[in-house]
Amino acid sequence: MSPVLDIRDLHLSFKGYGGLSEVLHGISLRIEQGQKVALVGESGSGKSVTARIVLGLLQETRTARIRGAVEFDGRDIGAMSARQRAALRGTEMSMIFQDPTSSLNPTFTIGRQFREVLGRRDPGIGRAASDARATQMLAEVSIPDPARVLAAYPFQLSGGMNQRVMIAMALANRPKLLLADEPGTALDVSVQAQTLHLMRELVDDHGTSVLFISHNLGVVREFADRLYVIYRGRIVEEGPAAAIFADPRHAYTRALMDAVPRITGGGLPDVPEVSEDFLAPLIRHEEDAA
Amino acid sequence: MSLLEVQNVSKTFHTDHGPVHAVRDVSLSVAQGECLAVVGESGSGKTTLANMILGILAPSSGRLRFDGADLPSRRLPDHRRAIQLVQQNPLSSLNPKRTIGASIRLGLDTYGIGDRSGRWRVVEEALDAVGLPPAMRKRAPSSLSGGQRQRVGIARALACDPRIVVLDEPTSALDVLVQARVLRLLNDLRVSRGLTYVFITHDLAVVRNVADRVAVFKSGQLVETGTTEAIFTNPRDPYTRSLISAVPVVDDDELSLRNSLAEGT
Amino acid sequence: MIRAFRILAANPLSLIGFILVVLIVFAAVFAPWIAPYPTHNGAVVDFLNNNRPPSAQNWMGTDLVGRDIFSRILYAYQISLGLGLVVLAIAPPVGTIVGLLAGYMGGWVETILMRLVDVFLSIPPLVLAIAMMGVLEPTLTNAMLAVTVMWWPWYARLVYSIARSEREEGYVLAAEVIGASSFHIAFREILPNCLPAILTKMTLDMGFVIIIASSLSFLGLGVQPPTPDLGSMVAEGARYLPDSWWLTVFPGLAILLVVFGFNLLGDGLREILGVDE
Repeated sequence: MSPVLDIRDLHLSFKGYGGLSEVLHGISLRIEQGQKVALVGESGSGKSVTARIVLGLLQETRTARIRGAVEFDGRDIGAMSARQRAALRGTEMSMIFQDPTSSLNPTFTIGRQFREVLGRRDPGIGRAASDARATQMLAEVSIPDPARVLAAYPFQLSGGMNQRVMIAMALANRPKLLLADEPGTALDVSVQAQTLHLMRELVDDHGTSVLFISHNLGVVREFADRLYVIYRGRIVEEGPAAAIFADPRHAYTRALMDAVPRITGGGLPDVPEVSEDFLAPLIRHEEDAA
Repeated sequence: MSLLEVQNVSKTFHTDHGPVHAVRDVSLSVAQGECLAVVGESGSGKTTLANMILGILAPSSGRLRFDGADLPSRRLPDHRRAIQLVQQNPLSSLNPKRTIGASIRLGLDTYGIGDRSGRWRVVEEALDAVGLPPAMRKRAPSSLSGGQRQRVGIARALACDPRIVVLDEPTSALDVLVQARVLRLLNDLRVSRGLTYVFITHDLAVVRNVADRVAVFKSGQLVETGTTEAIFTNPRDPYTRSLISAVPVVDDDELSLRNSLAEGT
Repeated sequence: MIRAFRILAANPLSLIGFILVVLIVFAAVFAPWIAPYPTHNGAVVDFLNNNRPPSAQNWMGTDLVGRDIFSRILYAYQISLGLGLVVLAIAPPVGTIVGLLAGYMGGWVETILMRLVDVFLSIPPLVLAIAMMGVLEPTLTNAMLAVTVMWWPWYARLVYSIARSEREEGYVLAAEVIGASSFHIAFREILPNCLPAILTKMTLDMGFVIIIASSLSFLGLGVQPPTPDLGSMVAEGARYLPDSWWLTVFPGLAILLVVFGFNLLGDGLREILGVDE
């Protein structure tokens, strides 16, 4: 079976007033059916632009130069027309953003927004059918009173509730791939923990593949099967999440791990902000049975 | 002896939807040289408390004492100088149209510290103290990285030679590696200058490693205070427990600590 | 500066605007030397040559009393630009001070000042100017006065809305915690962040002020003959359309060019200064 997402030697540069500047220096990344893959890096590492390329959004930007292959479910995204790429979004791939409240439209009810989402796959869907499906999805994300939520506007719901609604909407069309860009970073820690847990159960049930983009190693550890660590547009370490957490081998990955303060104490780590070693070549962990 | 005392302080906001009790009957004290972490989620009242300590807001009831005397709600320049702030967002906390030096100098100009050339020397010393080149004072904030800007924010507070610094989520907008450096810097400065910190944050993992004592807030009320050690090894309030057990962790020791706390809930 | 030129050069439309504005300003300033008939800016009559179509002697033809239209347009530009400069030297500072005070101070200061601004903005600008000119004598000074009175509230509103949002920025909080004066916060911290938008609006407004002033003259309420003015030239010629088309078309084109030039330049400035609407 072909992988759900296969990125090979992807380069990206932006044309500015000062000439070309390269942002991605040839990254490769694979997501198999049902796999939850995390792309971990700091701001400016290139993780978010990678997501925008997969979603086919950056291809529309005039100043972006993209080189390399991005295959979604065996189809080359780069060779598609803008229209074909748009047709994929919201149907076969969907997205969850940082701030749930601002990514929902404040002027429509949740029910209406659900109908719009479901209508992308099934344009003739009626109100009754849409509400029924939405109710079922909201129940799956443990929303106790779906009817009330469907009639509500986003600003009438809490941030955590909106995040669940976003998850339900993102999975409503049974996408093959879910892109989650720092989901829940805008939420309180306890709410974030709950929604991540919920999201994980749901994608496992549905067999959805996930590209999880985050800077937070703790969150990634609880969510992902596989890890790609990205630093300044290069993947520096990849492998099964458990293997990397047990034995981080790249200097940058190690620095990232060390820099996270521990709730068991131990003081503040002495980690360099930048180092020559961070530019060392990619380290791949063996695919072991574990 | 405690340097700052918060005695039965409440703050009520009157809104169109009725009164909102942002802080309810809170009493706390912070000793000279101590780092007190004020922990809570959004809406817990921790920012309102910080604003009252800074003199931006006046308490509805109760009083604040600093160095053995009452803090008036109309602060004198000496009080303002003694209690400084480092903000969360390094992007917005520096005026994009003023040089870094001008931003740091503002306190010196306002309090009339030193003469013209003396002030620039203080600015340069403050930049040096936070690990930035003194020549950077002529630059605009837009030419700096997030971590550098946050260091400038710290230098601005330091330049006034304060006794207390209120740190409002000082590292939560920064990348992990930068956060680690800035936290170390804050710790070193506290020790070398005998500063007292009120550290407002939602990040318990940071608290564990920087605070001497912790005050946990929920819905405007203080639910638990104690030494950092006690709060993390034996939290008494279920809310504190749930907060700690929600922290995303990276190693197995942390996981077992978290699990042992979760069992008790 | 270098960046500004690059953006200007990369954007052909704003470059055209820039060139137009430079040419027009040059033509206006040096009108006495450039104009083929420099005396024609006043009460000159030459009935032998009246109402002639464009020719080698008179590139844009002559008017009803035989004056060279091209020369008169150059002098009219002097009047238009001068009027625009005076209005823009008074209205933006007044509006900026009002807007800053209202936006930063809030409370009753905000209520009073912004209600006053609303009152001015609720009267259609041309109607206000016509009413004023009806009461006052129709002279050049009064035309400037009328246009200024109706112009400052727009700056008050622009600066007010920026100041309102800047007030929430961290650097304002920082200055408040330090205990800096309200004057310092409003004029030294917030004002510099309003300047790009003010400058852009001023450039765009130059064109509009010229249009309004021409409209007043067109209605006979502005600059009085024999002083050349683009608006009154169009008005005079309008009665002789379509036969003596040059009487209206060239002054009309002159208005179009100057307004167009300032608008294009303003759009370019908006990009250079990074102003978002």
